[in-house]
Amino acid sequence: MDAFSMGLLAAMGALATVAGASEDIESDVGSQSNPNSQVQLAAQVGFPHRIYNKAISGEPPSNALWCAVAAGTAMVLIEKFAMPALLSIALGAAVAALFNGVFSTTAYMGRNASQARFNQYVFLDVLRTHTTTIMAHAWITAFCITCISYIMAYVLPMTHPFPMPLIAMIWGLAVGAIGSSTGDVHYGAEREFQNTPFGAGLNTMDSGHIVREAEAGVRSSIDNAWFCAKFGGPATGMAFGLTVFLDNWRATIFDPATQGVLVVATGVVIVIILNIYNKMLENYARKKYGPYPEYKGDIEA
Amino acid sequence: MTGIDATSVMYIIEIIIGGLLVAIGVHFVPVGGAPAAMAQATGVGTGTVQLAAGSGLTGLLAAGLMMKMTDDLLLIVASGAVGAMIMIDATMVVGNWVYIYGVGAPPASAKVNYDPITKLPQPPYMAPGTVGQGIPTVCYVSGTIGGLLGGAGGSLIYFALLSINGNPGLSGIFAIGIFLVNAVLASWNIQGTIEGFHDTKFKRWPRVLQAALLASAIIGVMAVMITGGA
Repeated sequence: MDAFSMGLLAAMGALATVAGASEDIESDVGSQSNPNSQVQLAAQVGFPHRIYNKAISGEPPSNALWCAVAAGTAMVLIEKFAMPALLSIALGAAVAALFNGVFSTTAYMGRNASQARFNQYVFLDVLRTHTTTIMAHAWITAFCITCISYIMAYVLPMTHPFPMPLIAMIWGLAVGAIGSSTGDVHYGAEREFQNTPFGAGLNTMDSGHIVREAEAGVRSSIDNAWFCAKFGGPATGMAFGLTVFLDNWRATIFDPATQGVLVVATGVVIVIILNIYNKMLENYARKKYGPYPEYKGDIEA
Repeated sequence: MTGIDATSVMYIIEIIIGGLLVAIGVHFVPVGGAPAAMAQATGVGTGTVQLAAGSGLTGLLAAGLMMKMTDDLLLIVASGAVGAMIMIDATMVVGNWVYIYGVGAPPASAKVNYDPITKLPQPPYMAPGTVGQGIPTVCYVSGTIGGLLGGAGGSLIYFALLSINGNPGLSGIFAIGIFLVNAVLASWNIQGTIEGFHDTKFKRWPRVLQAALLASAIIGVMAVMITGGA
């Protein structure tokens, strides 16, 4: 372990945290991933809305695409045109954001146009203001992940054998999986249904009844980003930052060439600690909230 | 392109074993799909393939780095497995943060009355009109096992491919492809959502074993023949 490697590792952890947060907020503005099912359903059950609707695909494949495009472009600029790395990565992320813009626009227009029979309109002002917001967040995600991939592929003393675009694709897939699993729950279970009491998930009877009023005026997806940036986004950033940091930390403090067993053992210890922490978290929640008063069964809490 | 000899057969067997590990591992991953994203169902609020691929391929990155340093199969596979477990565990812990602090609901399983590991009662903590929420201990442990198997499987596939052609990029992308084929097969077997090894759907795993065996054998032969010439 040397100070240079640890510094780079810290930078990777910080970049991953930003990437996770921006990925989650990008999916919240666009209403991508699983909570989109309620946005899609809303118009069909009589609640047309001004929420952006762009379920391009699952978050992992779409983010893998943005990040691989950004890293591929950056790699060409660095290796074939000898351009500075930072500028190349920024340009690569800009190309990825353009890809994102194309997919977002077609997804929004296609989905809303297909719901015309339910009085769901294509709002051109929503398209104009939200698409750029989504692209901006996609740029941040692609930029951060390409930076992480660049550090892993070129800068660390022990460079990764995978080419930069492949590393970016895998981290893109991971950040999408994490965003879809963590931050999106804050959007789907809480923000979309603030009209139901806090302390429970969505009751099946309320499916599609998403909140359409904002703190002022009609709710847009940028209002949702404002809300989710307070918890869901940073939580996603924490999860992805933890993954990138802990996974690389164990290979930085020990030399994989001579201390491979210690690298694996450190990982096992981290996994055990996380399992114990989750149990403590479960105990805390059960004690704090208690059983649901509506429960009428025989099993004692 | 290269011919099939005894060494290639060994690598094909390794790819098949890796594929089977991935297919079985997906059955352990607790995913509640879209309903879980609205805290309507127990498990992680995403799809089976998405989370299994996210963790398994993070493990592949760890295995790739380890294989650059050593050719010890056990260390490479263990490193991949641990990388995948770290990713899925971090995700599940933060997922529980969102369920507990963001939604205000305690984790509860809908498939068992008592958690098989902690023996804690589950139904009283299930929100009305839902089939559980969050990631209780049994699901968490199951997910960790899923990460272990998925990461180990992906790493084993990568080990076999890299041993043939010595090209990390080519082997990595083929390993991702073979991983995804087996993960998707398992996902079809699960049909959407599963809570983990305590779920009744878990008993379907022998079916996917047959499908994954066949698919991995065909892809293994193709992958060895195609990448062997690189």
